[in-house]
Amino acid sequence: MNAPSSSAEKLQPLVPAASMEVGLQLLRCGRFSLLFARRSAWASLGLCGLLAAAVAVALMAGSTWLSPQQLLSVLRGQGAPGLQLLVLEFRLPRILVGLLAGAALGLAGCLIQALTRNRLATPDLLGVADGATLGVFVTLISSTAGMFGPWWVGPLGALGAVVLLLIAAGNLGRRGQRLLIVGLALSSLLRAVTELALSRQELMHASALYAWSIGSLNGRSYAAAAPLAAGLLILLPLTLSSTRRLALLRFELEIASGLGLPLRTTQWQALLSAVLLAGLAVGVCGPIAFVALAAPFIAERLVGGGRIALLSAALVGALLVVFADTLGRILLAAAELPIGVICNLLGGPFLLWLLLSERNKEIS
Amino acid sequence: MSNVMNNEPALVVQDLHACHQKMPVLHAINLRIEPGKVTVIVGPNGCGKSTLLRCMARLHKPSQGTVRLGADDLWQLRPQQAARRLALLPQAPQAPEGISVGGLVRYGRHPHQGLLQQWSAEDERAVRHALQATAVTALAERPLEQLSGGQRQRCWLAMVLAQETPLLLLDEPTSMLDLGHQVDVLNRIRRLAAAGRAVVIVLHDLMAAARYADTLVAMRNGRILASGAARDIVTPELVRQLYEVEADVLAAPGDGAPVVVPVAAHAALARGADAARVLHAHP
Repeated sequence: MNAPSSSAEKLQPLVPAASMEVGLQLLRCGRFSLLFARRSAWASLGLCGLLAAAVAVALMAGSTWLSPQQLLSVLRGQGAPGLQLLVLEFRLPRILVGLLAGAALGLAGCLIQALTRNRLATPDLLGVADGATLGVFVTLISSTAGMFGPWWVGPLGALGAVVLLLIAAGNLGRRGQRLLIVGLALSSLLRAVTELALSRQELMHASALYAWSIGSLNGRSYAAAAPLAAGLLILLPLTLSSTRRLALLRFELEIASGLGLPLRTTQWQALLSAVLLAGLAVGVCGPIAFVALAAPFIAERLVGGGRIALLSAALVGALLVVFADTLGRILLAAAELPIGVICNLLGGPFLLWLLLSERNKEIS
Repeated sequence: MSNVMNNEPALVVQDLHACHQKMPVLHAINLRIEPGKVTVIVGPNGCGKSTLLRCMARLHKPSQGTVRLGADDLWQLRPQQAARRLALLPQAPQAPEGISVGGLVRYGRHPHQGLLQQWSAEDERAVRHALQATAVTALAERPLEQLSGGQRQRCWLAMVLAQETPLLLLDEPTSMLDLGHQVDVLNRIRRLAAAGRAVVIVLHDLMAAARYADTLVAMRNGRILASGAARDIVTPELVRQLYEVEADVLAAPGDGAPVVVPVAAHAALARGADAARVLHAHP
C-alpha cells in the first residue's frame, strides 16, 4: 500500500515538511527526537526573562528602595550590612517562597484543568485550600501558645481532604466532573467546620488563623522554601514528562484510549501531583486564590494552538505571585497588603474578563 | 489486491458475554475477523453492536469470554501495545478546539512514539501516507473545525490510518454524511481492506452494509442472528427478524448485492392477507 509514495520519500529530507505546520521544531539525534512548538519555547524563554526581571524589581522595591547598583553590590557580597540583611534575609527568601508557590499553583491548576477539561477547575475546588486550612487550624488550637504547626500540616490537610473526597465520590468519574461537584460540597463542609470551631475560640487564635487564611508571604524564611523546592524538583520533571499523555486527555476518552493512553494511570498521576503541589503551596503560604485559575489560562493564550502549556503555566504562576507580592509591599506605605488580598483584587476582574472573552468566542 | 492474504484471523471473539450497567447486553458472541476483509456489523438500535465493537477495541471489559489478537489476549496487552495493533474511530468524534488537520493526524502516531522518540522518519512517512490516502494533504494546515462534515470525517480516518494498525474498528463512520461522502468514505475503507487490513464497521444502514461488506454480521438482542456473505444471508426473513419490517430483497443490477426495499404498511397488510390465503389454499 506504500508503493505510490516510496519514490517521493527518497527525495524527502528528514526534516518534516508535508505533514508539519510551520511553527513546529524537530530536533533529532540518532533514534532520539524531540518535537515542539517554537512558540512554546519562545514563550517559556520570555517568561523566564520576565520572571528574572520581576525578581530583581521585587528585591529592590519595598519600604526601603534600592538602586540597581546597590542590589548588584549586595548580591556580590558587598554593601552595607543592613542592606545585606534586608535583601538576603528578608526579601530574597519570601520572593523565593512566592516564586516556588506560584509555580506549584500554576502547574497544579494546569493539571486539574487538563484532567477535567474545564477551564474553571482549580485544586481549591477539590478542597485543597480548605483541607489545608483545617489542618493548620487544628494545630493552632491544640497549641497553647497560639503557634502554627510545622510546614507539613497544610499539605497533609490538603491530602486528607482529597482522600476524603475520593472516598465520598467513589471514583474519579469519566472526566473528574464528579470530583468537582463532590469537592465543592466537601470544601464548604470543611470550611463550615473550621468556622464553627473558630467561633468558639479565643480572639487570639481567630486572628492568627485569619492572618494565615488570607494568604501571605510575610516573614517566610528559606526553611519554608525547602519543602516547596523539593516538591517541585520531583513533581515538575514527572509532570513535564507526561505532557504528551496529558495532551491526549483533551480528546474524548474513547479516542484517547484508542491511541494507547493508559487512562487511569494518567488521571491518577495528574490528580495526585496537582493535590501535592497545591497542598505544599497552600501549606507554606496560605490559600492564594486565582493563581491556579489564571496561570494555565494565560499560559495557553501565550503558547497558542490549544496546547497543554505546563511549563509556561508554572512560569506564569511564579510571575503572578512575585508580581502580586511586590505590589502588596509597595502599594500602601504604612502596612503591606497580604498577597491573598491582592490576588482577590486582581482575580475578580480577571475571572470576569475570562468569562466574557470565552463567551465572545462562542458567539463568533 | 496482490497482497498475500494471511489466513490467520486478525481478531477472534470467543464466547463473549458483556454487561452494561449490570444488564447483560451481549450473549455468547463468537466471531472471526479476517485480514483483507471488510466485516460489517448491522442490527437495530440497542442490539449490542456498538458494545461488541467496544469490547473488540478494549474499551468495554467483557464479563466472560475472550478477545484474542493473534496469539495474545487483548486484555493482557498494555494500552500502547494494543494501540499499535488496532485503531478505533468512535461514532461522531469530537476534536479538541483549535487543532489543525495535520495536528490531528499526527496524534495517530502516538502509540509508536515515546518521551524521547517524538517524531521519527517512520512517523513522517505514515502521516504523509495517511493524508494522501484520504485526500486531505492539501488541508493539512487548516483548522479542523473550519472543514465540512465530509472532509472532517476523512481527517479522522487519516488519524486512525496513521496508526498503521493491521486492524481498524469504525463505529458508524458514515452516519453524519450525505450520500456522496458516504460512498467516498466506504470506498476508501474498501481500498484499505484490499491492501490487507482487517476492517470492522458498525453500520445501521443495512443497504450500505450489504453492498460494502465481505462478511455481514446481523445482530439482535445481543446475539448474532446470521453472518456470512451479504447475498447469502440477507433475506426478507432476516430483515423481519432484525427490524420487524416486511421487505422485499432484490439483487442490485450491477453486482447482485442484495437491496432491501421495505414494504409500506398498507401493502404489507395486503401481502399478509395474500400469504394467509396462500397458506389456506396449500396447507
